[in-house]
Amino acid sequence: MNVYYEGVLASMGINILLALSAYAMLATDRLSLGNAGFMAIGAYVSSFLTVELGWNLYPALAAGACAAAVTGALVGLPVLRLQGIYFVMGTLAFGEVVRTFFQNFEPTGGAYGMRGMSGTSLEMIAAFVAVFVLLFLAFEVSRAGRAAYAVRDDDQAARSIGINVTGARLLALVSGALIAGIAGALFAHYALYIESGNFNFLVSANAVLFVILGGMQTFWGAVLGAVIFTLLPEALRFLADWRLSAYGALLVALMVLRPEGLLTRTFLIRLWRARSGRDAA
Amino acid sequence: MLGQQLVNGITLGSTYALIAIGYTLVLGVLKKLNIAHGELFMVGAFAGIALAALGAPLPVNLAAAFAVAGLVAVAVERVCFHPLRHASFLSPMLTTIAFGILLQNVATQMFGSEPSRFPHSAEPQQFAIGSLSISAVQIAILATAFTLMFGLDLLVRRTRWGIALRATSDDPETAAQHGVHPSRITITTFFVSGALAGVAGVLTTLVYSQVTPLIGIRQGLIGMVAIVIGGLGNLRGAMIGGLALGLIETMNDAYFYAGYRDFVIFSVFFAFLIFKPEGLFPAQAGR
Repeated sequence: MNVYYEGVLASMGINILLALSAYAMLATDRLSLGNAGFMAIGAYVSSFLTVELGWNLYPALAAGACAAAVTGALVGLPVLRLQGIYFVMGTLAFGEVVRTFFQNFEPTGGAYGMRGMSGTSLEMIAAFVAVFVLLFLAFEVSRAGRAAYAVRDDDQAARSIGINVTGARLLALVSGALIAGIAGALFAHYALYIESGNFNFLVSANAVLFVILGGMQTFWGAVLGAVIFTLLPEALRFLADWRLSAYGALLVALMVLRPEGLLTRTFLIRLWRARSGRDAA
Repeated sequence: MLGQQLVNGITLGSTYALIAIGYTLVLGVLKKLNIAHGELFMVGAFAGIALAALGAPLPVNLAAAFAVAGLVAVAVERVCFHPLRHASFLSPMLTTIAFGILLQNVATQMFGSEPSRFPHSAEPQQFAIGSLSISAVQIAILATAFTLMFGLDLLVRRTRWGIALRATSDDPETAAQHGVHPSRITITTFFVSGALAGVAGVLTTLVYSQVTPLIGIRQGLIGMVAIVIGGLGNLRGAMIGGLALGLIETMNDAYFYAGYRDFVIFSVFFAFLIFKPEGLFPAQAGR
């Protein structure tokens, strides 16, 4: 495969993982603008283990993901007490604290960044995406998944029928942190070089925008959003210099014109009915 | 030495305060975050630089930044907030992120991603007061920033516009029943908010002499930290929060290590949200 297409597909896979990480939290009605922080932890921990300590990629990746998940649990307990705008700002603050920490942390290169990682292939990224898509399919029909959606739709009602609302949100936050950690570890070992700027606010913001624009009623919306909005800047190359401005304008237009996202549940049901109708005929 | 750091810190903090009061004005009226607020700072800085490159004097650059950033803020309101006024706070907030990305990309297209600079005419004049030294640029910054801050404070407290603004902030429906035009208040609030951020853009660029299309990300976050320290929606709290951040930043650079600057600031931000989310001065706008 041509290097250009391989690069686009790899970043698409990593974006799908980031979108799923944002989706996990949005599925319990909590919007995080700090997932780049979890991504950074996965990236730096796994890179330190492979480059400095000579670990194999897979155990290092698992360790990076665990470090992100543990951080998610530790940060989640106090941050989940915040509501509305405060929760959003709390996650944003967390992401910036992590980024500026790694900007100064000498053992992982500080401001100079880290290099020497390798080993991620496109197939490997695709395999992780496939695994998480299957996990989300199972999650949507599981008890935990139904509890999460009940919390999203009305947390008071969910609490009244005995669902542990804080537990569901904490589980969602830890899962989101874990997925972002894996995305970070894969990214670091694919990009070969990382610096703290790779994990800035815009990365967290994009992950959320993928989900919102794709549609947040099902996790397929997150996948679709990541696919479309990775390809869009490439598809706009005919606009040459103005392509990124056009991309920004399209983001704004879609947010305003279709705030419920591209992929909605009614659309999926209609698609399903149309297909089963044809089978019956 | 300490006195000098105080002067420098208050100068820097006064520009942060200008960002923060605009941020908190919008938050007070709409109860929604405008994440593109930092980009208004960037737009103002570039407007000022563009005119300075044509040879315009500082007051003209400031006026241009005031007008251009104010008008872009009105565009943000019309595009991101007005159509989504019945949605939850998340939809317009995310739309402002998209609008910010749009502004960053347009600025990169127009001015390039390399830092742009103010054309410096002469070495700025220095004045000595005892052991303190203060430059003409610093005096211009302090004078402009504090005039605008006190001016806005008076406007909000003493004028019909200010009363309408505070009424809308407290209870938009009751305010509308008493003849306040909510849309007009929202638009003027956004204009003022953007205009102040734009002026802050020019003032900051005068000292640090360079600006990039992505500078608004940090400046917007700094504004957010300042309003959390001061208490969301509290105008005077935002001023104090901005000044405090300027002092924290200069003290950190002088006595600690400049590399840790943003780590310190964002740790303070996180600590406030966890332990004191209502800020130092919990109150409504203009109280």
